[in-house]
Amino acid sequence: MAKILDNLLPSTAQRAVKLRQSYDWIKTELSELDAVYEAKKQKALDSFIVKANKKLAPLAYVACDKAEYADSIMEKKLQEYDVNKYLSYRAANHKAAKAIFKAINAGEDWSGALDVMKGEVEKIRSDRAAFVGKLRLKREALIAKGGASDPTEYNAMRTKLEAERDDLSKALDEKYEAVIAKKRAALEAKLEKISGQIEDNKARSAKIGNLPDDVLLSVKGLKMYFGGLKAVDDLTFDVKKGEIFGLIGPNGAGKTTVFNCITRFYDATGGEMYFENKYGEVVDLRNYKVHDIILQGISRTFQNIELVKEVSVMENLLVAGTRAYRSGLVVHALGLPLLKKEEKLMRQKAMRVLKFMGLESYANWLAFGLPYGILKKVEIARALMADARLIIMDEPAAGLNDSETAELTETIRRIRDEFGVTILLVEHDMGLVMNVCDTVCAISFGQMLAIGTTEEIQKNKAVQEAYLGVEEDE
Amino acid sequence: MNKFLSDKYAIPRNNPTKSDKLTNGLLALFKSPVAQILLFTVIMGVIGQLSMEKILPYSWTSAFATTFSYAIAAVGFCLLMGYSGLASLGTGGFIGIGTYSVYYIMAESGLPFLLAVLVAILVAVVIGAIVGFISLRIEGIYLVILTLGLSEILRNLYMVLEDKISFTKSPVILGITITRQLALYVVLVFLAVVMIITSNIINSPTGRAMLAMKNSTAAAQAMGISLMKYRLLAFIICTVYASISGTLLMLVVRNAMASQGTGFYALITSLNILAAVIIGGYKSIWGAVFGSFIMYGLQTVVLNNIKFLAENPVIITFVSGILVIIVVMFYPGGLAQLVLELRVKAKGLRTKMREAKYGKDLG
Amino acid sequence: MAYFLNTLFGSITPMCITALVTMAITLIFKTSFTTNFAQGVISAFGAYVVSSAFAKLGLSLWLSLPIGMLAAMLIAVGVDVLIFRNGRYVNALGKQIITMGLISLVVGVIPLIFGLNDPAFKSFVNGNFTITLSDGSVATVTKNSLVCLALAASVIAVIFILLRFSKWGLSVRATASNEYVAGMMGINTHIVTAISWGLAGALGALAATINASSGTVISGYFMTNYQVYAFLAGILGGFSTFYGPVIAALMIPLANNLVQYIVNVAGKPELTGWSMVIVYAVALVIIFFRPQGIFGKKIARKV
Repeated sequence: MAKILDNLLPSTAQRAVKLRQSYDWIKTELSELDAVYEAKKQKALDSFIVKANKKLAPLAYVACDKAEYADSIMEKKLQEYDVNKYLSYRAANHKAAKAIFKAINAGEDWSGALDVMKGEVEKIRSDRAAFVGKLRLKREALIAKGGASDPTEYNAMRTKLEAERDDLSKALDEKYEAVIAKKRAALEAKLEKISGQIEDNKARSAKIGNLPDDVLLSVKGLKMYFGGLKAVDDLTFDVKKGEIFGLIGPNGAGKTTVFNCITRFYDATGGEMYFENKYGEVVDLRNYKVHDIILQGISRTFQNIELVKEVSVMENLLVAGTRAYRSGLVVHALGLPLLKKEEKLMRQKAMRVLKFMGLESYANWLAFGLPYGILKKVEIARALMADARLIIMDEPAAGLNDSETAELTETIRRIRDEFGVTILLVEHDMGLVMNVCDTVCAISFGQMLAIGTTEEIQKNKAVQEAYLGVEEDE
Repeated sequence: MNKFLSDKYAIPRNNPTKSDKLTNGLLALFKSPVAQILLFTVIMGVIGQLSMEKILPYSWTSAFATTFSYAIAAVGFCLLMGYSGLASLGTGGFIGIGTYSVYYIMAESGLPFLLAVLVAILVAVVIGAIVGFISLRIEGIYLVILTLGLSEILRNLYMVLEDKISFTKSPVILGITITRQLALYVVLVFLAVVMIITSNIINSPTGRAMLAMKNSTAAAQAMGISLMKYRLLAFIICTVYASISGTLLMLVVRNAMASQGTGFYALITSLNILAAVIIGGYKSIWGAVFGSFIMYGLQTVVLNNIKFLAENPVIITFVSGILVIIVVMFYPGGLAQLVLELRVKAKGLRTKMREAKYGKDLG
Repeated sequence: MAYFLNTLFGSITPMCITALVTMAITLIFKTSFTTNFAQGVISAFGAYVVSSAFAKLGLSLWLSLPIGMLAAMLIAVGVDVLIFRNGRYVNALGKQIITMGLISLVVGVIPLIFGLNDPAFKSFVNGNFTITLSDGSVATVTKNSLVCLALAASVIAVIFILLRFSKWGLSVRATASNEYVAGMMGINTHIVTAISWGLAGALGALAATINASSGTVISGYFMTNYQVYAFLAGILGGFSTFYGPVIAALMIPLANNLVQYIVNVAGKPELTGWSMVIVYAVALVIIFFRPQGIFGKKIARKV
């Protein structure tokens, strides 16, 4: 009952969550600020160009070489004709070929059928020649009607418009620069204030563990028992900031179980998990519910793709941003402008992530029916949407072919470098692990075998035995 | 964009005229769901007025009023099933919440109708929250049966409280006495509001969160979506809509009996609403409205005009049963899917016409 | 004391009916993975056939009963063979909706075949046994309810024996645990499912006949209440076993009557109407705390 009440009533914890939410939102706004005004500027320039083109169009006609102009139009018409006639040409050909085969099979003389076929082809050719003739006449008429080319006026106008465009662009830049600077200052001030409040909260919250400076996640003596089955038994490891940490082990070693404990899908039987969250506080992950883990800065991908199949790739990314929206149900239900503003910003952010992953052309595709490799990438993009500090990847290379795996290796490195996140991954593909990981932890039957750099792991006897079995005679 | 015309030649450009701009603007306007819903409401209002003046059959007024009352419950159910992935057979019982709350409040305290509706909504929120909590522990077919049990509890409760209730006095809204005929307009206003709110929710982050929850609870939770919050929300919305639907039904029908096996609060209503949503296409609120029309309006508005069917009303039950089965067997996406397929067919037809004109591509 | 005994005796028929319907619904649930909402109307159809067989053809009730069971069986098998297997993409939810459509279909068909009049019905046997207790009060039990008890008990016993010891029973249990794997192991799941549907139809018809023979007026919806009891019994007992639902099915009508008894003995007869509310509420509370059912086993899910 206390649990239920805790959920319904706003508590200090929830206020703290709200505070952090605003902090995140302002950070998002800051990161998207340039892009927002860039888009505005682009829009203004585009509308200018449309107007300019309207002014230019008649002049351009006067300016252009009439023969070239007529040629381009005629070419287009001929192309259209060919496309349309292609079908009937194929049909005639097919029919004739059928007749010939029939005649051959019947042992009859097929030269008649061949003649028919030739006739058909001839007819089509002559038709086309007639059409081309007609087009030629039209072309002459167009050239005669157009008169001589006179580019002076066009060039003058164009130079003028180009100057105008540059002026506009400069003016917009100046205007927006000021606005951006002002906004940035305002947002930063807000951020300062909020982070001050967060600091207060931090000071007030009683117990915060201690982690060494370079450690992001520390797992100590983790135990997960299912009844009598010890899936994870006394596992201890540290993940350092900015590294790519690989967790390997034979099937059933309990790798995914470790992930599920960290992301709180399972309530660990015992052990401690400390994490330095995105606000710089050290938190005990056991105090958080599974759906609040993302707020601390841990996002994950799944072994089997768990995307929403019936919405677009873009919307799948927005799902990961659900907690970033500050608007509540009332705003959503009434469709108020605040939501539209937030939605625009989030879409922009999602687009940036998609571009990073090279997926921008798939933004509006339904996730349903996309190839497996693309969906895997979308999953990673979704994990990136959450502004996480630690991304947990559960077998990112499963089901990918060699070239896709090579690409993935590159992507994982780029994610680490450009987003400044730490990556924890479980993988069966040893090539990938040895290529990309800085530190590898090998486990078997829920217990640690070895931890170290890739070379150390490769040389380790225990790991070799776990993977290859014990050699009987040496 | 962001390029001047090519130097070489001008591409003749058709500048949009003023009338073009107007049509384009109108088209854009009617692509917005809110405008569509309002247009639909106005059209139905006009049809209702015509039928009241007996230009159209007089029976249509009450048929449409009943249909759209149920449609409100169906829209809520559409959100529950199509977007949150939860199923319930409690609709019948939930409909009664509205009826009985409003009946008792108006009889006991004499509050105005709209206030009574508000109280009914509050009661529905409480019951919806209870079901939502249950749905956190129990899922799938078990939840369906559990809600069925809950609905039966409510129905038995109604039977004990007062088996037969009737609204003898017409309620007054904003100084207008709502007769049984005028009820259609009240129903339409409520339907429009409910549809607009639902369509907004569906297209908002809340709707996406619900869809994520339906697809995979694990992924949804990892993305920060609280199952408790959204399941509760889905059930509360569904229950509130059902409660509103029950209130409006009483405005139209005026009396109901709880112990009747085919009454408002019985299993059959829950099943019919479920069937309506399935027939319409469980992810489309328009489908839900149309499905309710098939379940509740088709008989009066269309089938009764066919002489043979009007003489043998049992055949209508029979036919509607077959209709449901056929839709589920061959169009699991409901009528919404049928519309989509028809569009594809139309495209195919255009190809055929092209082939007829230019010859067939035999490949 | 006599009142208590009468309460118990009065519960016999509802208990038999609920147990039979629950057995039918459990069979279908375990082989087709769907809840059959049309169970009630198919049963009712069976009762209509029984009624016409003895009223119009002049057969005895004992001879009419198998005919009715056969008719219901044919309908049920038809649902499985003609509808479920021919749909384009019929999933579990789709099957449920189809059974809902069947309700309208069967209810529409009944008056077309049997006319609009209330069908005639009679008891298997007439008369009562009376027991005079030491304090002089008299408890009565109808002979008909005892016959029904014998019928229902023997049929359910036979089905349990079949499930436990016959090849068909093994196939049913295999299909219930995993239809796909069972198919790969060489079990013809289509036949298993069809037989289960047929049995369910026959059980339903028997239940409807028992219900009608105890004096209830037949109509298309007259088994709906028992169907709702059966669903509740299914999850109360836990669908993972066969005996769980049946035991729960015996408990629900009994509990209902006992609550009425207690209320009356406590001197508050005006509360009699609340008995079903109380029983349902208690059942729901139990289910809430044991979602897998009283006799069910918990199945862990992998993320």
